[in-house]
Amino acid sequence: MSQPRRFRPAMAWLHTWAGLVVGWVLFAVFVTGTASYYKDDISRWMRPELTETPADPAAAATAAGAYLARQSDGTGGWLVKLPTAEVPATEVYWWTSFAGPFHHALLDPATGEPTQARETKGGDFLYRFHYELALPSAWGRWIVGACAMVLLIALISGIITHRRIFADFFTFRPDRSRQRAWLDAHNLVGVLALPFHLMITYTGLMLLASVLMPWGVRTAYRDQPILYYEEAGMMPKYRPATGQPAAGLPLGHFVGLAERAGGERPEAILVSSPGDAGATVSAVFEEPRGLAHLHPQIAFDAVTGAEWARNGVAGGATRVEAVMSGLHQAHFAGPALRVLFFLCGVMGAATVASGLVLWVVARAPRDAAPEGVGLRLVRILNVGAIAGLPAGIGAFFLANRLLPPGLAGRPDWEVGAFFGAWLTVAAVGAAMPRVRAWPVALGLAAACFLAVVPADLILVGEARFVTFDLAMLGAASVLVLAARTATRPRAALSRKAPARVAQA
Amino acid sequence: MTAPGLAVSLALAFAGLAALALSLDRHHRAVLRGPLLRGRAVQLRAAGWGGLALSFAAAVSLAGWEFGPVQAIGAVTGAALGVAACLTYRPGWLRAAALAALPLAAAFLPFALAAT
Repeated sequence: MSQPRRFRPAMAWLHTWAGLVVGWVLFAVFVTGTASYYKDDISRWMRPELTETPADPAAAATAAGAYLARQSDGTGGWLVKLPTAEVPATEVYWWTSFAGPFHHALLDPATGEPTQARETKGGDFLYRFHYELALPSAWGRWIVGACAMVLLIALISGIITHRRIFADFFTFRPDRSRQRAWLDAHNLVGVLALPFHLMITYTGLMLLASVLMPWGVRTAYRDQPILYYEEAGMMPKYRPATGQPAAGLPLGHFVGLAERAGGERPEAILVSSPGDAGATVSAVFEEPRGLAHLHPQIAFDAVTGAEWARNGVAGGATRVEAVMSGLHQAHFAGPALRVLFFLCGVMGAATVASGLVLWVVARAPRDAAPEGVGLRLVRILNVGAIAGLPAGIGAFFLANRLLPPGLAGRPDWEVGAFFGAWLTVAAVGAAMPRVRAWPVALGLAAACFLAVVPADLILVGEARFVTFDLAMLGAASVLVLAARTATRPRAALSRKAPARVAQA
Repeated sequence: MTAPGLAVSLALAFAGLAALALSLDRHHRAVLRGPLLRGRAVQLRAAGWGGLALSFAAAVSLAGWEFGPVQAIGAVTGAALGVAACLTYRPGWLRAAALAALPLAAAFLPFALAAT
């Protein structure tokens, strides 16, 4: 009989602890993932040397093919991403076997030589961090996947725990007690963007499904993993190499062929077994205008130019997966809708952060009483994660402008700045006394973003980067506001304290 | 969908959510400084759901069944954030803002239709 009365407290317990153990990782995932909605804009800002003049895709493909033919370790395959208005350079990958390693270069569309742009990982670093955490092999994906599963549990148990979803839908009372205010804030950002939170968590898990649950495909397609992609309608029929060398047509030829056969300009050119008589050149098209994130392909014979195969019609399961990955990545979103997706992502990060802070606030001892070891640990990790990560992102951008363009291993130095600033701010936050940790750490993070603006204006100073610099100012203002909020309860206390003394 | 189309959905959702917020006793007292009568609450609730339905209908008719629902949900989220911020920091402005949102939606509609 007492089961209903035990159910909600059990869910509240589950929500509290499930949210706590994955919160620090998820905050980083939400922040870097949200920044990835502007991945191309970030990459453009980080490579200011690239001009935005539209390039001829056919000429760019031919030039890239000539460059790739000179790479001795590119006998397995090439991928050529054609230049667009968003990415004004030809991006090429080449490999000997599907097991890797995969080499990468950014080419000037006109010359086919590596661009003179400063070397950087660009927005791709933040994008990959949000599901790989910059960890080797599949470790990062496993950790992010596990955290996303726990997040799904935290979301559902949180909905059950929340007694007054509709009555408190718009309620935020910052002037009440600290715990009340933080609970309101957590409920508000959690509930208002709940459709987004559920969607992004579930579709994110779906994108990692092949890493988290590889056994189905592995059992059914034991030694032919490519066959799975062919049968799912994701790839045209694969043609193995013959071992006979043969010169292929220039790659630019296939851009025109693909435009006539597919009705639109391809997004990328995929060459398998280049230089072989059995080589094929596949034109990869952008997803059709729809929610589904599908990439139709047409494969041609690399030597004769005759059409070899097209990918089959995607089945139901493939289409469902494509719609989910389409919703997650929101490639379809124009500038206005993109702002809303970004806002929802920020609310996701805010939900995680406010939940973590609430955990500490709800357990904090009164006034000057000492805090226990567990509470101290959680508080220090909170400061390190919530203030440290933004500081890292600011430092990553700052390093892009400050490091000398010709520096050897430049991309790694930028990543080093990211982790260095993160760890420094986390350490400063841990060393500070309890009342000053938050304002100081958040202030440092704000300073990192703020410093990007003068660095960009002095060292590059181009009008097309004004929006990016304004975004940096925006991030800095949010962090300054957060730092001010963190100092306020103390100010209120110190104002009240003399009054109490006066009454006594 | 284009920016004007999204603005139509956002404005309608804002007006609808503001009416729903005013149908709750706590917010009604804060905004209109008077008790919430039962009949008034029912009217506000009906107007609120009507606004949300119009916002959804606008999104679907301007962007189709594929993108429309995505944009409608996005618009409701954005509008809800606006209503919550208004209730917290400028509760006195909510009624005027909601009433202004309706002609604003009508003003954006021709631009939205021209863009589709």
